[in-house]
Amino acid sequence: MATDTRSLAAPTRPSAPAGRTRTKSLRRQRRLASTAMLVFLVVSSLVMAAPFLWMALSSIRDPTELARVPMPLIPEDLRWENYTEALTRAPFGVYARNSFILATAAALLNVAFGSACGYALAKLRFRLAPAVFGWMVACIMIPFYATVIPVFLMVRHMPLFGGNSILGAGGTGWIDTWWALIVPGAISPFMVFLFRQFYVSTPSELIEAARLDGVSEFGIYTRIVTPLIKPGLLTVALLSFEAGWNNFLWPLLVTTSENLRVIQVGISSFRQEAATDWHLLMAGTTLAAVPMIVLFLVFQRYFVQGFAASGIK
Amino acid sequence: MSAAVSPGPTTPDAERVAAPDAPVRRRSVRTAERRWGLILAAPATLHTLLWIGVPIIVAIVLSFTAYDIIHAPEFAGLENYATIFTDGLFWRSVLHNAIIAGVGIPISMFLALVFAVMLNRAIPGQGIFRVMVFLPHITATVAVAMIWLWIYNPSENGLMNVVLGVVGIGPLPFLTNPDLALASVILVTIWQGIGLKMLIYLAALQGVDGQLYEAADLDGANFVQKFFHVTVPMLRPATFFILITALIANFQTFDLIYILTEGGPANSTSVVTYRIYQTAFQEFRVGLANAQSVILLLILIVLAFLSRKIVGGTDGD
Repeated sequence: MATDTRSLAAPTRPSAPAGRTRTKSLRRQRRLASTAMLVFLVVSSLVMAAPFLWMALSSIRDPTELARVPMPLIPEDLRWENYTEALTRAPFGVYARNSFILATAAALLNVAFGSACGYALAKLRFRLAPAVFGWMVACIMIPFYATVIPVFLMVRHMPLFGGNSILGAGGTGWIDTWWALIVPGAISPFMVFLFRQFYVSTPSELIEAARLDGVSEFGIYTRIVTPLIKPGLLTVALLSFEAGWNNFLWPLLVTTSENLRVIQVGISSFRQEAATDWHLLMAGTTLAAVPMIVLFLVFQRYFVQGFAASGIK
Repeated sequence: MSAAVSPGPTTPDAERVAAPDAPVRRRSVRTAERRWGLILAAPATLHTLLWIGVPIIVAIVLSFTAYDIIHAPEFAGLENYATIFTDGLFWRSVLHNAIIAGVGIPISMFLALVFAVMLNRAIPGQGIFRVMVFLPHITATVAVAMIWLWIYNPSENGLMNVVLGVVGIGPLPFLTNPDLALASVILVTIWQGIGLKMLIYLAALQGVDGQLYEAADLDGANFVQKFFHVTVPMLRPATFFILITALIANFQTFDLIYILTEGGPANSTSVVTYRIYQTAFQEFRVGLANAQSVILLLILIVLAFLSRKIVGGTDGD
C-alpha cells in the first residue's frame, strides 16, 4: 500500500522528500496506535482492578447506603469505623497472627530443608540422587486434594498425641494443634525443585576449590554456594509465605478453636456471623487481602521469578 | 515439569589434582560428598514420603473399603468404584470442571496473551498495568470469592447488577439461578486466571528474537501479521505449558466453589474436589471419597502424560 502511494505521488521526483512524508505518516500512525493501546490498557486494567476497588469502597461505606436504591457509586462519607466494628465482631487480630505464624513457619522450613535437598540434587553425587529427583518431580504432579483425606486421618490418628494411644486410637491426635497446621505441609516438593534449578546455575568450580581448601561439605553448602542464590532464597520464602497465608482447606479441616483459626477460615466463618453486613464483610476481606498485596508490591521481582517458573498457585 | 533434566552435576575435572596423596584424598572427598548428599536430601525426602507417599497408598487401600471414620474400615472390594461408576453427581462434577476449563481457559489465555504483548513494550505505566492484571492471582481465593459474592449480590446494589442496570437488564440472581451460576463462576476463574498466564507469556516474550520482528518489518508486515506469524508461533511452548498447568489447576478448584456457591444451586456448580469434600466430611463415606480421590489422581496423571506427549521435548525447562 505504502509503496503504491509513493510511486503515485512522486513518479518523477527522487525519493528523498517522499520518503520523509512516508516516515512522518508512519510515525503518526504509530502514535495513534500506541494511544489507542494505552486507552485500551487503562480501561481493561481498571476492569481487572474494579473488584478490588469495589471491595475497598464497600468497606468504608455507610450501611444505610448499601440498602438505598440507587446506591451512590462513591460513598458519601468515609466510614472507617467499619474496620473497628469488624475487629470487635471477630478477632481478626488473632486470625492474622495465626496466619502470620503459619506462613512464616512454612517459609523458614521450606528455605531450610528445600534448599538442603535442592543443593544435594544439583551439586552432590550420591547413589539415590536420581531416585530422589524423580520422586520430587512426581510429587509436584500430585495435587493436595487427592491426598487430603488420608493426611487428615494420619493427623487425627497421630500416636500419643491428643489422648491417642500408641496405636493412634482413642483421641483426636494433632487435630486443633499447631502440629497439624504446620507439619504436613512443611516441605513442598515444588520448592525443592525450584531450589535445585537455582543451585544448578551456580559454578561447580567453587565447590571443587573449597574442597581443596579443606572446607567441610556442610560448610560449602551453607557458606560458599548458598550465599550465591540469595534472590532464590527470597523467592522461595515469599512463595511459601504466600501459600501459607492464602491456605484455606487444610486449616479449615484441622482446626476448630477460634484461637487457632487462620485468616482465610476467619473470613469464611465471619460470613456466617455478619450475614448480610457487607460493609463489615468487605472490611474483613480487605484485612485478609491487603497484607499479601503489600508484600507483593514490595517484593514483586522475586515473586515474578518464582511464579513464572511454576505456573501453579 | 522437566523430568527429562537429569540430576547431578557435570563431572568436575578431579584430574587436575596431582598431589601424591591425591587418590586417597579424592576418595575421602567422594565419601564425604556421598554421605552429605544423603544427609542433606534426607529431611525433604522423608517428609514427602511420609506426607505424600504414604497418603497415596492409604488412599488406594481405603478406596477398597467401607469406612465411616467411627467404625473400623471394612473391606468392600470394588464396591466404591462401582458406586462411582453410577454416581451421576460425581460425573456431573467432572463435567463442570471440564466446562470451566473448556470455556474459561481459552478465553483467559487469549486475554493474557493480549495483555502480555501490549505490556512487553516500553509504555508509560507498564509496571502499574502489570500489577493490576496480576493482583487477582496474588490474592487468596477466599478473599476473591468474598468480593465476587458481593459483586454478584442479587439485589440492585450488587456491582454486576449496577452495571447491567445501565443497559436495562436485571437485576439477576447470578449465583442462585442454576442456569447462571456456572457461567458466573467461570467469569471469576477467567478474571483470576489472566494474571499468571500473562506473566508466563511475558517471560516467554523476553526470549523471542527481536531480529524476527525486524525481518518481518522489512517484509512490510503490519502489527496483526507480526502477531499471528511471529509472536504466536514463537510462543507455542509457553502456550502448551500454560494450557497444561491451567488444566491441572482447574481440577483443583475448591475455595472458590466453597465460598461462592457450595456447589449449588441444585448441584449446578459442583466440582470434583468439592464433591470429594462433601463425600468425606459431610456424608462421612470415607472409603468412597478415597475412591473418588484415586479417580481424580488418575485424571491428573492422564493430563500430565498427555502434556508430555504433546509437548514432547520442545518445552525443555
